Amino acid sequence: MTDPGRNYLSWKIWAVYAALFGISIPWYWPVEDARTLGGFPLWVVVSILGSAAISVFTAWLFLRCWPADEEDEAA
Amino acid sequence: MILAAAADVIPFGPWAMVFIALYLLSMVLIGWLGMRARQENTLRDHFIGGSGVGFFVLLLTLFATQYSGNTILGFSGKAYRIGFAWLTCVHFMTAIIVTYLLFAPKLFKLAKQHAFVTPTDYLQHRFNHRGLNLLATLIMVASLSNFFLAQLTAMGRAVEGLTTLHPETAFAWGVVILAAIMLVYETMGGFRAVAWTDVIQGGVLALGFAVLLVLIFKEYGSMEETTRRLLQSAPEKVRPPKGIELRNWISYIFLLGVGAALYPQAIQRIYAARSAATLRKSMAVMAFMPLGTALIAVLVGVTAAAHLSSELQGASTDAVLGVMLRHVQEQSLFGHAVVVVVFAAVLGAIMSTADSALLSISSMVTKDLYAGFVNPTMEQGALTRLGKWISTVFMVTLAALAVWLNNSGTKLTLVELLEMKFDMLLQLAPAFMIAIHWKGMRSGPVFAGMLVGLVFALSFFWVPAQGGGFMTALKTSGFHPGLYALLLNIVIGVAGSWIENARRSST
Repeated sequence: MTDPGRNYLSWKIWAVYAALFGISIPWYWPVEDARTLGGFPLWVVVSILGSAAISVFTAWLFLRCWPADEEDEAA
Repeated sequence: MILAAAADVIPFGPWAMVFIALYLLSMVLIGWLGMRARQENTLRDHFIGGSGVGFFVLLLTLFATQYSGNTILGFSGKAYRIGFAWLTCVHFMTAIIVTYLLFAPKLFKLAKQHAFVTPTDYLQHRFNHRGLNLLATLIMVASLSNFFLAQLTAMGRAVEGLTTLHPETAFAWGVVILAAIMLVYETMGGFRAVAWTDVIQGGVLALGFAVLLVLIFKEYGSMEETTRRLLQSAPEKVRPPKGIELRNWISYIFLLGVGAALYPQAIQRIYAARSAATLRKSMAVMAFMPLGTALIAVLVGVTAAAHLSSELQGASTDAVLGVMLRHVQEQSLFGHAVVVVVFAAVLGAIMSTADSALLSISSMVTKDLYAGFVNPTMEQGALTRLGKWISTVFMVTLAALAVWLNNSGTKLTLVELLEMKFDMLLQLAPAFMIAIHWKGMRSGPVFAGMLVGLVFALSFFWVPAQGGGFMTALKTSGFHPGLYALLLNIVIGVAGSWIENARRSST
């Protein structure tokens, strides 16, 4: 399944990635923060969830938004 | 990061050895099946598998090729040393798949239209610049040779502790036997053998990670306990990264995300997809793999840091997994079996990465260097035979070098220099990721940018890590030299192309 109206160079796609990586990279956490969630440090939980969101978004792009003009006829 | 894990486990008994031997023999059988499946005696058939592979094989060969022994042992060792901050490995492994969005769809289409075999085939098609072809091929062959040497060394390390032989003797036998098995199946079946063995190796690797995940929680209790212990004994391993550590995080995501996406064997797997649907489904699943692999390796490392730090003091920290496995082995017969499975996974991870690297080196030396510069008229069958000889020569030379380096304890400057492989591979990015979209990008500026970027990146090797000066400040900034070099490379390539285009349009 492809979407002829989109391609992977759209600034919107890379803005979403910038936001997701921005959340995943723990630049905004205070060093002394020792809160935990489910046994993990809280910043680790947020970073893993951010990574999972990047995986979901990437998989969605590959499956649903593959540029139509790159689809080969044999597919 | 070379593995020292096996040095700590109890030597394997006869049944475990029989299991490992059968596992390895199955690779040779697959090589023979790959040879029987050959459709024609051409370079594309030998190095890409003819019309390509389907979803299941492509997914597992992408997985097994991208995840090496280092993912299990090196990553867990690093997480042991720096704690949760090594979570960056999950992000950079994901970033590799994100990077493919930038060029895989167009590259796949071009590869099918023009029957590409090597990454340089794309460069030839796009730029038709012999200097660029030569430079890019040399960068890729040099980077992969280092990678291949590291995998051979890892093979030796992985078997060192499994026998009662002297470690140096076991290392040499391990390298020779495993290298010979790889050479046999790869020479017989080419890409098909490599991809089909990757199905087994990737499957065992995935099983190994699943076993490791169960082991962590079964043997060492909950994450609450692990984090609580770490907060008491080594709180710095729980804290979020700051300052230079944080810049290192970001740098790793760009360096490996872009650099590893440009591994020639990975690019050749894009060529080898049977259809666009096969490729995009495989990539979609690959996007989740870091969560089931690199993340588990981090959990192994931090668990060891919390529970085993007293036992690991003074030891090589890459031995983390070995020490954990010894604990498991000592407990029960089932524990022995678990360790055998994990070591089969380690061997699978190393061999699947090594065989792909070797096949890729052989394809580039044969097609891009020999046929491209020495004998362009040689017919396909003869070139394919030559490719097998080149594989043999590389295998024997690098295996001998691995054994010699291990026995002598020597560090060669050349080998150390080649450890900057991602800094080097990164310099290919403008040619693949910008030029594939921008038709105005010109060959001369791309070549100049790549050359200057490469020289600038490698020059950091000789820059002192301490003292004053601009280069030292860059080197110690937390960002890898290859990223600075890439910026320079892009500026030269893009600005040079603009100038050249403007000059052409005015004349």
